[in-house]
Amino acid sequence: MTISRRHLGTLTAAAGLGLAAPALRAQTREVVFAMASPLSGPWARLGELSVLGARFAVDEINNTGGIRTLGGAQVRLATVDVGDSPEKAKTAAERLLSQEPQLVGGAGAYVSSFTLAVTEVTERARVPWLTLSYSDLITNRGFRYVYQTSPTADEQAAGALPTIIELARAATGRAPQTMGIVMDNTASPVSFTRGLRAGGAERLGIRIVVDETFTPPLSDAGPVMQRVRAARPDILLLLPTAIPDIKLTLEKINEIGLGRGRLPIINNGGPMGSPDLLRLLGPNLLEGAMFITATWGLKGQEELIARFREKTGEPWMTQDSISNYGHMMILREAVERAGTTDREKVNDTIRALDLTEGPAANAYPGRRVKFDERGRRVGAPLVIAQWQNGVPVTIFPTESAMAQPNWPRR
Amino acid sequence: MNAAAFVEQAAQALTAGIMVGCVYGLLCVGLAFIFGIMRVINFAQGDFMMVGMYLAFYLATHVLGTTLLGDATPFVAAALTVPVLFIVGGGLHRLLIARTTGLRGVGLSAEGHQAQLILTLGIALVLQNGALILLGTSPHTVLTTLSSSAWELPLLYDDFSAVFINQARAIAAVLSVGVAFGLFLLVARTRLGKSLRAAADNPEAATYMGIDVDRAHRIAFAIGTAVAGLAGGIIVAYYPVQPFVGVDFIIIMYAGVVLGGMGSISGAFWGGMVIGLVQQLSTLVMPLQLQNAAIFAAFVLILLFRPQGLFGRNVERA
Repeated sequence: MTISRRHLGTLTAAAGLGLAAPALRAQTREVVFAMASPLSGPWARLGELSVLGARFAVDEINNTGGIRTLGGAQVRLATVDVGDSPEKAKTAAERLLSQEPQLVGGAGAYVSSFTLAVTEVTERARVPWLTLSYSDLITNRGFRYVYQTSPTADEQAAGALPTIIELARAATGRAPQTMGIVMDNTASPVSFTRGLRAGGAERLGIRIVVDETFTPPLSDAGPVMQRVRAARPDILLLLPTAIPDIKLTLEKINEIGLGRGRLPIINNGGPMGSPDLLRLLGPNLLEGAMFITATWGLKGQEELIARFREKTGEPWMTQDSISNYGHMMILREAVERAGTTDREKVNDTIRALDLTEGPAANAYPGRRVKFDERGRRVGAPLVIAQWQNGVPVTIFPTESAMAQPNWPRR
Repeated sequence: MNAAAFVEQAAQALTAGIMVGCVYGLLCVGLAFIFGIMRVINFAQGDFMMVGMYLAFYLATHVLGTTLLGDATPFVAAALTVPVLFIVGGGLHRLLIARTTGLRGVGLSAEGHQAQLILTLGIALVLQNGALILLGTSPHTVLTTLSSSAWELPLLYDDFSAVFINQARAIAAVLSVGVAFGLFLLVARTRLGKSLRAAADNPEAATYMGIDVDRAHRIAFAIGTAVAGLAGGIIVAYYPVQPFVGVDFIIIMYAGVVLGGMGSISGAFWGGMVIGLVQQLSTLVMPLQLQNAAIFAAFVLILLFRPQGLFGRNVERA
């Protein structure tokens, strides 16, 4: 048998590829995603819920064949504790990058001020980074590698009040006239309330009658809640971000006779829906409390939530778990489409994504993953959930709601 | 703000200040035994409190149960933590702390303070991370109706104004005062107290007078640990415990002990009380976010005029 020069060339190329393929597979046997969250300090539990969601997603990715375009490469989740301050968060991000040189992308770090610190580090290293944090500052800095899947605090604040007014009007026949604000001074509530104080509330016909900001943790909520009692607003924006502070303020509201639905309470963010609150307060003190959040259990996610409950033992899927489940699925989709672990190419792919189906899109309200030039998810609607009979359920947007709103009556 | 509203808020802040201050006072008394008497900078004191909180929580929910004792459960559980933490404190002193304190400390550089610092910081880290690994990040509290119920004291000038006294905090405050007073009597009136004071003032001279300084320090450390655990057990009735809860309290404890005057048990209590009052009353005239800054502004001001603390003495050592 004679072998022509052309055949020889083909065979040589095939042999070369055959030899190279195992090497390529060896290089991409493992794809590293990161989850940075507070695993110590007052936000530790919420950080743990974030990790649970991310790990659940990574397990699903690996159990369904890994990254197919990389020969079924398995995903490894690197977790890092960002602690309880922006300084610790920045150090943790630096440690993560030095320990995981192969890092493809990551998510975190829950508290907006921590995310601001972490993304200062990841942006310099050109690591694509997804976050559920709300502060507008996160995507207002002209960064190229940072993506926000939640509606920003300004967007939530702008959308929240009109929605709340409509809920109140539908239930009671009248719109609220006065509002109280009690919040901690972390970045998310600061950002959320800035627009309201700068005329946003007034334009909607609502007067702010009590406005108190504290540094967490609170030692006693008595003096601050006494001011709420004296001002007696129609609605109260109660915006602590740490669970101990939520407990103290809600107990105090009950003490002064405004609890159990007598004063409509609206929180911003996932902690108000944490399973731990049920254990710390019991269902009665939580009944009727509402919270604005980036995502919560939505109509159509029943199967996902059931799988998560079975796997983790958590009673429901919080914003932290769902969002970070989605973040890992977005990273998987980007790596899958890019066909490489090169951060620059993965980042370009995330920028170009427009998903309307699949696990990444289904994780978020609006069911679309597309980012604008600043890195914000296009059309991310706000979600309102409410404690009803010991369970926090989505009541808005109506098309994704799991229950009807139950507006507190005085 | 009108006068009636201001009076109501001032009364509420004063009430909150007294209740918070009593518990801070007890925490400071616990630290005073270790920092004031032994001169050991104990970074783990907040974490002994955390251990007491977890222990009281598990005793209340898994051993005692709330059906038999009702709302008294968390406080009974808190009392039961005392012997456990006393033994833990005594054991820690014998195994670790004693190597850097007392007469052995005299021979070390900086009288053993550097070694004590590293040692207690190490104990603190082990306790925090041990709790994180073993008990997780979920916050826990003993669920009773007391923490969300209040006695309402109407203010007589109108029908609406009132002061609310949280039941769990009020009971915690009364217990704290009682325990602190008992400890004051122990140190002031008993032979054991005399030996503790002697070992505190001058360990070498105390040895010449026949006092076993190591034993005195071990008892002081055990009492300090037990008091931190008891205070933690009382606090968990209204404040949730998680592995890092002690960090929020440790600075306050040190500020209280220094403010009250080193070596003074009653001074430590009043130091804690002053901190509680300043923390709550400052909200009347300053933004709420500066509550903790107000503590240290008052701390600096008081020490400027009384460097020895409120109840400390100026002692010239020969």
